[in-house]
Amino acid sequence: MRKFLISFLFVFVMLAPVFGGDLEITGYVRNYTGVLLHGDYDFSIVQNTLNLNFELKSDKAALKVNPYVYQYYDRGLEFNLREAYLDLYFNSMDIRIGKQQIIWGKADGVFITDVISPKDLSEFLLRDFDEIRMGITAAKLDYYLGDSTVELVWVPVFTPDKFPPEGSIWKPRMDLPPNAKFDLSRMDMEFNLKNSEYFGKISTLTGPIDFEIMAGYTWDSRPVPFLEREIDPLTHLPVSITIIPQYDRLTLFGGSFSTTVKGVVLRGEAAYYIGKYFRTTDPTVAEGVIEKNYMHYLIGADTSLLGARVSFQFVQRWIFDYQPTLVDPERHNMMTVLITNKYLNDTLTVEFFSYIGLTDGDALIRPKITYSFADGFDIQIGVNIFTGSKGMFGQFHDNDMVYTKIRYSF
Amino acid sequence: MKLKTITTFALIGFFLGLTVLTAGEKLTGLDVMKKVYYRPAPKDMEADLIMILINSSGDKRVRKIKQFVKDYGKVEKKIMFFLAPADVRNTSFMNWSYDDPNKDDDQWIYLPALKKIKRISSEDKSDYFMGSDFTYDDLGNRLPEEDNHKILREEKLNGEDCYVIESTPRDPDYMYSKTITWVVKGKWIGLKRKFYDEDGEFLKELTVEKYDNIKGYWMLTRVKMHNVQKNHTTIMELRNIKVDIGIPDRMFTERMMKRGIR
Repeated sequence: MRKFLISFLFVFVMLAPVFGGDLEITGYVRNYTGVLLHGDYDFSIVQNTLNLNFELKSDKAALKVNPYVYQYYDRGLEFNLREAYLDLYFNSMDIRIGKQQIIWGKADGVFITDVISPKDLSEFLLRDFDEIRMGITAAKLDYYLGDSTVELVWVPVFTPDKFPPEGSIWKPRMDLPPNAKFDLSRMDMEFNLKNSEYFGKISTLTGPIDFEIMAGYTWDSRPVPFLEREIDPLTHLPVSITIIPQYDRLTLFGGSFSTTVKGVVLRGEAAYYIGKYFRTTDPTVAEGVIEKNYMHYLIGADTSLLGARVSFQFVQRWIFDYQPTLVDPERHNMMTVLITNKYLNDTLTVEFFSYIGLTDGDALIRPKITYSFADGFDIQIGVNIFTGSKGMFGQFHDNDMVYTKIRYSF
Repeated sequence: MKLKTITTFALIGFFLGLTVLTAGEKLTGLDVMKKVYYRPAPKDMEADLIMILINSSGDKRVRKIKQFVKDYGKVEKKIMFFLAPADVRNTSFMNWSYDDPNKDDDQWIYLPALKKIKRISSEDKSDYFMGSDFTYDDLGNRLPEEDNHKILREEKLNGEDCYVIESTPRDPDYMYSKTITWVVKGKWIGLKRKFYDEDGEFLKELTVEKYDNIKGYWMLTRVKMHNVQKNHTTIMELRNIKVDIGIPDRMFTERMMKRGIR
C-alpha cells in the first residue's frame, strides 16, 4: 500500500503545475472502539482508520482521490478508494468522471431518491453516512440555468449494496426454509453497455423553495431471492428449495422539496418504484416472489427549540396492488427524531438520534456526546440501543453497544 | 438593503460612517445612531475572515473563512467558504436576507461529508456564531428605531472625540438590557460597546483594535469581543478586503456551494 500511496503522491505532484495549484492533502485518523452490552461484553468493533484526500483545483478543472484504510483487530487491512475523479468546469456546465459518491434528495438517514451510490451496510446503519455511501464509477454532467441545475448520470458498471459477511453480528435475520440451498450462479453481472444505469434530475434552489425532480433506470441494489422448488411427484410437497439470488431492473420516478415556513424547514421526498420483486408465502407462486410497484416517501420538519436543533421525519413505504401473502406489510411506517445542541462555545455537542419503527414496534436509539478538545481533535462517546424483537432494528436487539471514536483531522 | 455580513460587523451602523456633521447641529442619541447606521456602504465585498477564539485557560482555536457578499437592493446574498479548521474545511454556508422585516432569512449549508445542500432554519438571533462571543444579532443590522438612545456624555477615547450613547431596547424580552457605545464624532464609527445582560449585569465588551479606509469606506479590520462572565474572548480580523468589485451572480448558487473556493 505504501508504494501505492507514493505513486499517488508522485502523480499528483507531477500534475500540480497542469492545474496551476498546489497539491492539497487533508484527511483524518480515527480509532473506533465498540463494546457489546450483552453477554461477555465482547468488542463489536475495534477499527483504526486512515482517510486521505488528495486534491488539485484550478478554475477549469479539479482532481480528487480519496483512499482509505480500515485496520481491524480480527481481520486483514481493508483498503479502497472512496472517490477518484476528474472535474471539468465549463461556462454553464460541469463534468465529473470517475469513482464518485452521488447524493440526491432531502431526507436525512433514509434513502428514497438517494439510490445512485450503493450502500456499505457491513455495520448495518451505524457508520457515518459518508462511509455508508460507496463510490461508483460514473460520468456526471451538470448543466446550470440560473438557479436551476440539470444533472445527468451514467453508471456503466453496476455496484450492489455491500452486506455483512457470514458470521457478522450485523447479518440480517433471514427466515429460510430448513432445507433451503443457495445457487449464486446468477449473481454475476455482465460488464456491458446494456447493464448500465441512467439517472436524470432537475433541481432548483430559490428563496421560497428548493425542489428536485428525478428519474432513474437502475438495478435493485439488493438481489431478488428467486426460488426453485423440487416437488415430490407423489406427495406434491417440496423436497428441496433452492434460492437463486438475482439482480433485477428497477425504474423509479421521484422528487423532493424543502421550504421555510415561520422559521420551520419543511421537507418532503417521494419515489415511485416500478417493478420491484417482493417475497410471498403463496405456495402457488413458483418463484416465491411477486412483482409490485411501491411508493417510498417522507415528510419532515426542522426547527430550533430552546436553543437546540430539532428534526422529525415520518417515512412510509406503501406497496400498491397489495396481496396479503406478501412477507412485507402493505404500509411500513417509520419515523426519525434528531435533537442536537452545542455548549461551551461549540466545543461540546450533544446529539440524540433515533429511528423508530412504527410498524414493528422497534427502534434504534443513538445518543452521543462529542467534545472537541482542540482544533481538529475530537472525542465521541455514544451508545446504540436496539429495542423490540423483530423488524429492521429489533432483529439486532442483542447488539446494544457503547463506543468511543477519537479522531484527528488535518 | 444595507450590506451586512460578518465583516459586516465592520459595516453595520456601529462600525462605519462617512456623514459629515454640520457645525453647531444639536444631535439626539437617535440622531447619532442613525448617522452611524445610514451611511454609504459598498455594493459587494470579498474578504478573508479570521476568527480566534480564546478560552479562560488561554487556549486558542482559529477559524478561517472566505466570504462574498452582494447587495441586490431587496435581498442581500452572502456565501461563506470554511477553510479551517480541517474538520469543517469545504463546508459552505449561504444566506439570503431580505429588507422585508417580516421575512426570515433563507439559509443553506453544504456539508462535504454528506455531499448535500441542506436548507436550514434561520438561527435564533441570540445564538452565538460558530462558538464565538458574537451573537447573530451582534453581527446583523439592528435598526436604530428598535432601541431608545440617550447621549450620556462626551469624552475622548483613544484620542478621538466620542459621544457615549446608552441604548435600551424597546422589546423588553431582548437579550440585552442595554448597550453603551462610544461613537467617534465626525467619522461616525463605533470604537467600543459594552453589553449588559437581561439582569442588567455587565456581560461583554467589544473593542476596535484596527480600522482602515478602503475605497472611501471606513472599515474595521480587527475587533475583539470579551465576555467577562465566561472569561472568553473572540478576535475577528478581516484580511484581503475588496469592495465594489462586481462579484458575479453565479457566486451565490448551489454550484458554488458544492464546488467551493479554490
